[in-house]
Order: sequence, then C-alpha cells, then structure tokens
Amino acid sequence: MNKRYPVWWTFFTLLLVSSLMAAPLVWLVLTSLKTPEQLASEPYSWWPRPFRWQNYADAVNSIPFLRYLANTLLLCAGNVLGTLFSCSMVAYAFARLRWPGRDTLFAVLIATMLLPWQATMVPRFLIIRELGLYDTLGALIVPKFLGEAFYIFLLRQFFLTVPQSLIDAARLDGCSELGILFRVMLPLCRPALLTVGLLEFVATWNDYGGPLLYLNDPERFPLAYGLEQFISSHSSELNLLLAAAVLFTLPIVLLFAVLQRAFLSGMATTGLKG
Amino acid sequence: MNGSTSKRETYAGFLMVSPWFMGFAVLTVYPFLASLYWSFCRYDLLSSPKWVGFANYRRLGSELLAGETLALAIGNTAYFALLSVSFSVIMGVLLAVMLSVEVRGRAVFRTLCYLPSVVPIVAAAVLWIALLDPQQGLVNGLLVKLGLPAQGWFHSTSSALWPPSWPEDHAGRILGSKDGLVLMGVWSVGNLLVIYLAAIVDIPPQLYEAAELDGANRLRQFWHVTLPMLSPVVFFNVVIGLIHSVQAFTQIYLVSDGQGDPAGATLTLSLYLFLTAFKELDMGYASALAWLLFLVVLLITIWLFRISQRWVHHQGAA
Repeated sequence: MNKRYPVWWTFFTLLLVSSLMAAPLVWLVLTSLKTPEQLASEPYSWWPRPFRWQNYADAVNSIPFLRYLANTLLLCAGNVLGTLFSCSMVAYAFARLRWPGRDTLFAVLIATMLLPWQATMVPRFLIIRELGLYDTLGALIVPKFLGEAFYIFLLRQFFLTVPQSLIDAARLDGCSELGILFRVMLPLCRPALLTVGLLEFVATWNDYGGPLLYLNDPERFPLAYGLEQFISSHSSELNLLLAAAVLFTLPIVLLFAVLQRAFLSGMATTGLKG
Repeated sequence: MNGSTSKRETYAGFLMVSPWFMGFAVLTVYPFLASLYWSFCRYDLLSSPKWVGFANYRRLGSELLAGETLALAIGNTAYFALLSVSFSVIMGVLLAVMLSVEVRGRAVFRTLCYLPSVVPIVAAAVLWIALLDPQQGLVNGLLVKLGLPAQGWFHSTSSALWPPSWPEDHAGRILGSKDGLVLMGVWSVGNLLVIYLAAIVDIPPQLYEAAELDGANRLRQFWHVTLPMLSPVVFFNVVIGLIHSVQAFTQIYLVSDGQGDPAGATLTLSLYLFLTAFKELDMGYASALAWLLFLVVLLITIWLFRISQRWVHHQGAA
C-alpha cells in the first residue's frame, strides 16, 4: 500500500508532464495541416478540417527549399568528414603516442572548451575574410578540418580503451602510425565515430550563427538560415511557416529515432531500455 | 621501448596533432590576442585600427555605471542565465527521478520528455513564437481558460521575477520575453534528463535499502541519498549550463528580431556584442565587450568551483 501510492502519483505526474512536453509538437504538426480559413475561424479546434497537405508543397515551393537542402547536405558532408578526419588523428596523438609537451597541450585543449566563442568571433571573422572564404561554404567547412576540442576529448577516451598489444603488434608488422589509426583504431572505435559524426551532422544541420556571420548570397544559404528568411517574408501564413518547420525538424527526429542507441551509448549504457 | 621508437612517436605525435595546433594558433590564440589589442583601438573594418588607449573600457565603465545599454544587457543575461539554469536543473532532476521509477509506459514518457530537445533551435523558435503569440497563441488561450491573465511573452518587456519591470496596472500580466526564452529552454531539458537518468541508475541500491531499514520514507530517501549522489552531476551541469546560457545567441536573436526587441528586453551581452561588431562595425568596443564576456565566464567558473566543495558530495574510494 505504502509503496503503490508513490508509483501512481508518479504515473499521473509523468502523464501530465509528458503531455505538456509533447503538446507543442502535436500542435505544430496539426496546425501545419490546417487551411488558412480554419486558422482564422472561431471557435478554436485542434484537429485540421480538412487536412491540407498542399501546405507542404506550398512551403517547399515558396522558398528555394531544394537549393537550401543541397547546401545543408553539402555542409553536413564536409563538416562530418573534416571533423572525423582531424579529430580522430589528433585524438590518436593525444591518446596513444608519447611526445614531449603532450599532457600540457592536452590541458590547454580542455581549457579552450571554456572559451566563449564570442571572445574570438571578430578576429576569426576577419581571418576567414582574409583567406577569401567569406560568403562561401568553405568559411564553415574549412575550420572543421582543424579539429574541435570536445570531439577530440571524446575520441581520446575511446582510443584509450584499445589494448596496447594491438598497437604493438601493428608496429612490429611495420605499420605506420597513420596506418595504425586507420586500420586498427578506427575499425575498433566505430561506435565512437558514429557518435561524433552524428553530433556534428546535427550541429551543422541546426547551425544558424555560422551562416548568419559568414554567408551573404541566398544561393548559398543552408536550410536553418533559409527557413528564417521564410519567416520574415511569410509571417502571416502560419500554416506554411509551421509546415516548413516540420520539414526541417523531421529528418533530425528520424535520425535520432534510428540511431538512438548509437547516440546514447556514449552517454549512458544502462537504464534506458524502458 | 627503445630510443628510435620514441623518436618515431614524437614525430608522428607532432605531425598528427598539427591540424588542431594550427587551428588553435590561428583561430584561437591569434584572435584572442588580436581582440585584446583591438579593444584598445578604434576599428571599423574600413580603415586600419587606431590606438585609443582605454577609451573603449571607459565607455564600458560609464555605460555600466549610468545604467545604460551595457547594464541592461548584463541584467538581461544574468536573469536569463540564472532562471534557465535553475529551472532546467530542478525540472531535470525531478523528472529524471520520476522517470527512473518503474511505471507503466515509462519508455513512452521518456521518449516524449526527450523529444523536444532534438528539435532544431530555429524550428523551436518558430514554434514558440507562434505558441506564445499574445492574441492567437495556444499558451495564452490555455491560461485564459484556466482563469489566469493572458501574458505578453515576446511582446512584453516585463520579467516575472523582477517586479521593477512590471507595468503599473499589470493585473497579473507579468510574464515577458525573457520568461518566454526560459520556458523554451525548460521545454528542451531532455539532454539533461539522459545524463541525470544515467547517474540515478548508477546509485548503488544498497544505499536505498539501508535508508529504508533506517525508516526513511521516499521523500527522505530522495533528500539524503539521491540528491547527494547526484550532486557531482548536478554541479557539472550547472557549470556547463551557466557558461552556455551566458553565451546563448541563436534563440535570442530569433525571438528578438535580431535586435533585442522589445525595447532591449532580450538584449543580452552576446547579442549586444554581435550587434556592436556587425551592425555598428565598432570592432574596438566589440572586442572590449568580448573580453568582458570572457572574464564573466571565467569568474563564474572559478566561483562555482570554489563553492562546489561545500555542497558537492564526493564519493570515497568505492
């Protein structure tokens, strides 16, 4: 008796909170399917009558959606590739090679994670401009080939768990250090690479500040930035606006649904099976 | 290991760490020092930087003392950061504790609570601008149905927990744009839930058994076992959360028409810095603001680590 009471209390609280958390998303999807007439009419009803799937076609057609999508995918491909390549190489150097100054430099790397990005924003912008990268996708992709502290840290933790004997054996067989990285470490650390790749993909898909700072030509806008342009020009057509938001959100939600296990495995290995 | 091996490792190490080191030198160290230099200059990008001594810092000090834009921005930043972090931590811990109880449909509840946190920030901003619309928004509709006053949200400069910002005849209409931003943040608390849940699962069950033998009820178990055992994780999230919310930019830019609307109510330090640099083209003052932001983050971190000794429970050798 004493034990059942809190469980029921917990159940109903969770039911309430989960409903409140989900309600905005349910409203988002339902409203994106309403006709403009229904949106304007009283009294308010949640359910679209009729379902206007045309909203989605209209949203796609009223902005260069495919152009923006292509730009986003190009950015994602470049950034994921650059991040995986540079971060795994640097992580290997920090995890499995001994060289003078390594531990000091690693402490410096950790410290850079605390540095606010705004602190270096202005000179960074000017350097990118000097390099002739302003208003190109390169402005966003090239820095990714120079590694990122958090991912380096994450991969290093994984690389540390690979048995030393495998590395020694590869060295005896005359394998170069790059060869060891690509033929021994990376195949063994696939889950970690998947986690880092996924995180970077999502970060790039969602990034708004980067394009705001470095892109000017609408031809090069990625979806996140293009969507906002759509907001300013269509703020009165709520159904189209929300349809565009759904289209932008859906791939990320699906990605998490499919790769949930891979994604969460880095953070928590137990207790999430429900 | 013989000498040649370590030489080989040294060469390989230098070579393989070089991409990051180059990026660190060119995109972190140089910008950091350059912005320090420029904070003593007048620099509008069109002509080369001109040394003006402490002029930018004098402006910074006088704006702060006179309660002008910078003081407003710091106040907004502090309000947003403190509320976001406190609500996220409280909601996160309570929800995680409930989600760790074996109830029917737990997997569904977990998914629903986690889902909002994967919604891209641009989409979340579009969604919440619509939800919090003072006239047609769903949230105000719900409040009115419950007999509560409709709120101004992103159209109001009022702040619920800062009475001086309330309008004269508010009649309970006190929630404003910053509260809307905090609400948006609490909605996407899912990332924290994952971390707290993992930490709760790691608490040894013997501790609860011992507490039960001592006659502790669930509330006391939460207070004397769960919370102390979670405190290192909570502390970590408070540090990260404060650092992140002081730097928060995208959602603030989006809900404020990119300029801190209405009337500067959402002008935070990071937005002020961005506007100074890229709208006013005043790189000198922007650099001084960047250094201020850096010092604020540094001080928060140091301060939190200082006080952490008092309330973070560190497990002995287990």
